[in-house]
Amino acid sequence: MFGFILRRLAVAIPTLLLLIVLSFLLMHAAPGGPFTQERALPPQIIANLNAKYGLDEPLWRQIVNYVWGIVAHFDFGPSFVYPDRTVNQIIAAGFPVTLTYGGIAFVAAVVVGVSLGVTAAIRQNTWVDYLAVGTSIGAQVLPNFVMAPILVLVFTLWLGWLPGGGWGGPIFWIMPVVALSTSFMASIARITRSSMLEVLGSNHIRTARAKGLSESKVILRHALKPALLPVISYLGPAFVTMITGSVVVDIYFSTGGIGRSFVDSALNRDYAVMMGITILVGALTILFSLVVDVLYAWIDPKIRY
Amino acid sequence: MKLNRLFLTTALSMGLALPALAVQPAAGEKLAADQSYTFWLLDAIKTADPHKNSDVEGSDVIRQLFEGLLNEDAKGAPVPGVATKFDLSDDKLTYTFHLRPEAKWSNGDPVTANDFVYSWRRLADPATASEYAWFMELMNVENAPAVVKGEKKPEELGIKAVDDHTLEVKLTAPTPYFPKMVTHSSTFPVPQKVVEAEGDNWTQAGKLVGNGAFTLTSHDLGVQISMDKNPNYWDAANVVMEHIKGLTVNDNNVALTRYKAGELDRVQIPAGQYPSLEKEFPDQAISIPYSCSYGYLFNLSDKGPEALKDVRVRKALSYAMQRDVVVDKILQGGQKPSYNWTHWAIEGFQMPEIDYAAWSQAERLEKAKALLAEAGYGPDKPLKLVLQYNTDENHKKIAVAAQQFYKQLGVQIELNNVEWKVHTDRLQSQDFEMARYAWCADYNEASTFLDYFRSTGMNYGKFKNAEFDKLLDESKTAADPNVQYTAAEKIIAEEMPLVPIYQYAKVDMISDVIKGLPTENVMNDWLAKDIYRIEK
Repeated sequence: MFGFILRRLAVAIPTLLLLIVLSFLLMHAAPGGPFTQERALPPQIIANLNAKYGLDEPLWRQIVNYVWGIVAHFDFGPSFVYPDRTVNQIIAAGFPVTLTYGGIAFVAAVVVGVSLGVTAAIRQNTWVDYLAVGTSIGAQVLPNFVMAPILVLVFTLWLGWLPGGGWGGPIFWIMPVVALSTSFMASIARITRSSMLEVLGSNHIRTARAKGLSESKVILRHALKPALLPVISYLGPAFVTMITGSVVVDIYFSTGGIGRSFVDSALNRDYAVMMGITILVGALTILFSLVVDVLYAWIDPKIRY
Repeated sequence: MKLNRLFLTTALSMGLALPALAVQPAAGEKLAADQSYTFWLLDAIKTADPHKNSDVEGSDVIRQLFEGLLNEDAKGAPVPGVATKFDLSDDKLTYTFHLRPEAKWSNGDPVTANDFVYSWRRLADPATASEYAWFMELMNVENAPAVVKGEKKPEELGIKAVDDHTLEVKLTAPTPYFPKMVTHSSTFPVPQKVVEAEGDNWTQAGKLVGNGAFTLTSHDLGVQISMDKNPNYWDAANVVMEHIKGLTVNDNNVALTRYKAGELDRVQIPAGQYPSLEKEFPDQAISIPYSCSYGYLFNLSDKGPEALKDVRVRKALSYAMQRDVVVDKILQGGQKPSYNWTHWAIEGFQMPEIDYAAWSQAERLEKAKALLAEAGYGPDKPLKLVLQYNTDENHKKIAVAAQQFYKQLGVQIELNNVEWKVHTDRLQSQDFEMARYAWCADYNEASTFLDYFRSTGMNYGKFKNAEFDKLLDESKTAADPNVQYTAAEKIIAEEMPLVPIYQYAKVDMISDVIKGLPTENVMNDWLAKDIYRIEK
C-alpha cells in the first residue's frame, strides 16, 4: 500500500507539469491578453508591462520561470489585473471561503444524501421511497443559479433572517451551503439507493439474514460498506469541485471565493491567477483520487494494489 | 508674461469668494444618528491607485480617497478642490494653480505642488505602465507624448512646482476644457513617500495614504471595500457622512433584492424593470442622462467589407435601425434614441438638425430601401453582413432585434457573439464588419466624443474625413468650440461612420433616506463628502 501511494505521488508530478504546460499554451492561444483594453496602449507601455510580468520572454522560458518560481519559492507570481495582489494572496483570501462553505456543503450532501438513499432502498416502492426519490429529483432539477436568487428573495427580502451575501460568521454560510449541496445531495442519494438495492439482493446479505442477524446489523455492517463503493468514487471529484468553489455561489452570494476568481481570471486574461487556481484544482483532484483509491482498498479487502 | 486671471465658471469664482458650503439637511430633514452609505459595485475593484485604475467603479472609490486640483459640483461644473483658483496665461498655454495650504494627506503631511508634479510624472512615465498615461496626452501637457513613448524623461513633462502651493502646467495647445479634465481621477495626487516605500502594495488597506475626504479601512477583493471619514481632510468639519462601503454583487437582480432588503442604498435597475419600479417606488427610482453613447461601428478600413465603403449602404443601415423599439421595448429606462454621436446632455453641446431624426420610421425605411437599391443591392443580390457584439444580455437583445429590423430591408445579418477581450482585440485589429460599440465621456465636453472619429483618434472603424479633422483642429482655439462640434456632427450624419442607436441614462434606485447624491451631473461622478443620511 505504501509503495502504491509513493508510485501515485511520483506520477502526480509529471501530470501536474503536463497540466501547467497545456494550460499555459491554451491560455496564450486565446485572443487578447491581460493588457488588451478598450483604448489600445502605446507600444512602449505594452513593452513595459510585458517586461514587468516577464511576458517578453519566449513562451518556453516563461513556463520554466513560472515552474521554477513555484518549486523554489512557492511563488505563483503577481496578479496581472490587481496590481496590489499576488496570486498567493488571492488564493489565500478566496480558498478558505470556498473550503468552508464547500466543506460544510460536502458533509451535508453526504449525510443527507446517503441517509435518503439508504432509507429509500430499504423501503423500496413505499411512500418513503417515493418521497426520497421525489426529493432528490426535485433537488437535482433545481439548478443552483435558479435556487440562489430564490433563497435571497425568501430569506433576505421576505423573512429578513439571513444576510443576502458577503462573507463573515456562520450566518453567511447557510445560503451558500444550501445552494451548493442540493444537487450533490441528490446525486449521492440516487447512487446510494441503486447501489444499496443491488447489494441487498446479493448472496452475503441473504447469508447474514439467514444467520438471524438483526436488520440494523445487516444494513449497517454488511450492506452499507459495499454499497458505498460507487458513492465514494463519485465523492472524490465531487469533494474537489465543492471545496474549490462554485462560480454560481460566488456570484450570487458575493462570498469572495475562488470560483469567481477562476472565471474572472479567464475572462480578464489574468494569466497568473488562472494558472494558480488551475494548479490548485489539479493538485487537489490528483490528491483526492488517490484518497478515494486508498479508501477503496480499506473498504473492500478484495482490492489489492 | 502677463497673467490674466480667469474664472471659467461662476461656480469657481463663487468658490473663491465664499467658504465651502457645509452639507446641510433641508428644512424638515433630521440627520440620522448612523451616517453610513452603502453603494453597489458590480465587480471587484482592480486597484485604488489613481494611476493604475482604468474603470468607472474604481474611479468612484478613488474619488473618495483622493482629491484632485478641482472637484465637480452637483451639476458637473468644476469647483475648487485642492486648488482654490487658477490663472490662465494670455496665450492660453500656461495654467497656474494655487493650492490651499491647509490641504493634508491622511497621515497629516501637507499636500504640496510637488505631490502633483510627482504624480503627473508618474502617470506619464512608461515605467509606471499606466493604462491611462494617454490622458496626459489628451490634456495636451507639454512633452506628454514623448514622455509616454519613453523618448523624453518624465522630468521633462510640462508641470512644475513654483513653490509649495503654486503649480504651473504648460500645454502645447489651447485646451478650453482643461479645467474639466483635472477632475478626472487619473490626475489625482499620490503620496510619493508611501508609494516609494511600499511599491505596488501601497494601496492596501492600512498602508494607503490619501488626501480625500475618506480613508481606506478594509478591502476584501470582490466582497467589499470600506472607508471612514478622514479627520485630516481640509474640509472635514463640513463632511457629515462617517462610513461608506462598496458591496460587490455580481448579479444585478440579486443586488436589487438586497437593495429592497435594505442592504444597499443605491443600485442599478436591471433593463426593462424601470417602468414597474418607478410606479412602485416613485421617490426612489431615477433615470438621469449619463454621458455614454451606443451604436454599431462600421469597419471602413481596407479589411472591412466593400459594401460598407458606399455611404448609401451605411445610411440605409442607419435609417433602418428602429431606435424607438430599442429604447421603449428593450431598455425601458428613459434612454434616448440617438441619431448622432455626442451625448445630448453634454454641457454646451448644441445638437445639429439631423434630417432623418425628424422622419417617421416608415419614411426612414422607405428611404433606406431606395438607397440600398441604388447601391445595387436587392432580392437577387442581398447584402450580407456580420454583426459582432460582446457577451451581455442587453447587447444580445438589441442585436437580435437589429437582425429583424434589417430583415425588413432585405439585409441578412449574421450575429457573432464573442467575449469582451476577443471583441476588443478584433476591434483594434479591424477584424470585424459591424460591431457594437459604446463610448463614455472622459470629461464633460463634446470633444471627448468627437475626437474619437478623427483620423488620428481611436477610431476602430478607420473613418477618415479631412473636413471633420479640420473642424476639430479649429475647435481647439475657437471662442465657442460648440460651433465646430455641431458642424462635425453634421458630417457624421452625412458620412455615417456608425449606426447611432441610443444614448445612455443612469437608471438607479436611490434610498429615500440618502440625500445629496447628484442627479444633474451627466458624468454621474459623486462625492460621499456631499451626501448625508436622514432619519425617516
